[in-house]
Amino acid sequence: MHLSAETYNIQQAFSRYCLTGKNRRITGVQPDRLSWYREMVFNILTEALEAAFPIAYANLPQRKWDSMTQDFCSHHACKSYQLWKMPLEFYTYAVEHSWDEKYDIPYLNDLLSFEWAELELYNMEDLPTPAFVPQGNWLHDVILLNPEYRLLAFKYPVQKETTRRKLLQQVGAWFVLLYRIPVTGQVQFVELSPWLAFVAEQLYAGITLSDILEYAPQLNITVTDTLASDTITFLREMQTRQLVLGFQP
Amino acid sequence: MVGIGFRREFAEELIAGELIRPDFIEFAPENWMHIGGHWKKLLHQAVEKYPVLCHGLSLSIGSPEPLDQEFLRHVKSFLDEYQIQLYSEHISYSKCDNAHMYDLLPVPFRMDAVRHISSRIQQVQDFMERPLVMEIVSYYTPVAAEMSEVDFICEIVRQSGCQLLLDVNNVYVNAFNHQYDAKEFISQLPLDKVGYIHMAGHEKVLPDLIIDTHGEAIIDPVYDLFEWTIQRLKPVPVLLERDLNIPQLPALQGELNRLKSICNKHWSISHALVGGNI
Repeated sequence: MHLSAETYNIQQAFSRYCLTGKNRRITGVQPDRLSWYREMVFNILTEALEAAFPIAYANLPQRKWDSMTQDFCSHHACKSYQLWKMPLEFYTYAVEHSWDEKYDIPYLNDLLSFEWAELELYNMEDLPTPAFVPQGNWLHDVILLNPEYRLLAFKYPVQKETTRRKLLQQVGAWFVLLYRIPVTGQVQFVELSPWLAFVAEQLYAGITLSDILEYAPQLNITVTDTLASDTITFLREMQTRQLVLGFQP
Repeated sequence: MVGIGFRREFAEELIAGELIRPDFIEFAPENWMHIGGHWKKLLHQAVEKYPVLCHGLSLSIGSPEPLDQEFLRHVKSFLDEYQIQLYSEHISYSKCDNAHMYDLLPVPFRMDAVRHISSRIQQVQDFMERPLVMEIVSYYTPVAAEMSEVDFICEIVRQSGCQLLLDVNNVYVNAFNHQYDAKEFISQLPLDKVGYIHMAGHEKVLPDLIIDTHGEAIIDPVYDLFEWTIQRLKPVPVLLERDLNIPQLPALQGELNRLKSICNKHWSISHALVGGNI
């Protein structure tokens, strides 16, 4: 490296000020002009976070949100060279620092996870679609699902509620499957019962529905006369909504 | 050739080519690498319709820490995939202590920084197997400068062998903010090394401070400086940057037309036999 230690230190102090807003005195810099850099860097980061987490930004108390973004910008070194991926680091930082407890927002991790999954799915690289035929035997053929998906488990129904009171009232086991529509690229999500979430997970693993049904009693699922037909009805519906592609040829 | 930055806000209109029709488009690899779905489809359509130049954001040539080799590999692969010959970046840094800031910070105008940056430009050029075209950035405060800005730029070009991206609006902004003569500054640059020009609007936020926002129309004094400048250059691609406050597209097309008219006025006469750079 050709940089002198002094130049290195000056650059370091400049960038640290931009991220933290602290220690504004830097050799050979106009302090009043320096603050513009702080504002620009901070705005880029916070605007990207607001765009990535619009529900969180709109519904969390402003002072808590501001504290979180300030904390993140000041103490986290963003690793992604792509700005759109930076919000994943924010979500990870929130989990690692137990912000759900610190800020008394028990549903925070679920909400950030949900919003990040939607953004990630929308932008992520295309995955190859397996060859499939549209018709087959729902019980015994391998059912192929849209490969661009995220199956998430939540304690709070962040996919349908935004107010704190309603979220806290409905603590439980919630499952949401998000997927990207191949033609439009739009992201859709479907709320699943625990059973259907299990079915989806197993179908993605290549297990046939008949084999999955056999396993149901071990999950304490009550195997009613209509469990198989209800599941197939659901899968048929999902085929019309492009989550189910079809059957392995 | 006069192009425009490819932005998501008007990507579909650019592809349709009815309200706006540039000669080429430019985009940042970082905004489009590893992308799929809707935007990948639009990117492919845009690349099929227009010649493309790339203008990077995250190389951070002035960073103290080593170059990010993984990043370079991904950029090279992206440029190869889309057969992009002109890759430009900024004489600045956007990463320090391994933290990305996603903005362009000014490098101290010092000889050790010249050597550091020049060496890194050479490394990138060798790896990319393409010339790097380096932009003179706008800056709002000098940082512990030990030499003039123009000497700093000239020395980087001389030591690294890179080309220059002359952002005429940046020179106007810097000249205003730091009280020097823009034409004199440009005159001292190695103008035979200019491979690309950027033009944009800015915002005067204080009586003595202009911020390079890319959020307004180009003002007349910047057009004047552009016209004065191109008479001293061989023909190169010219790009209109508009990142914020996107106006009605005919207004952007009007700016493209005005730039093109100035280029045609000066370059078609004196450089009739000289081809463009793309």
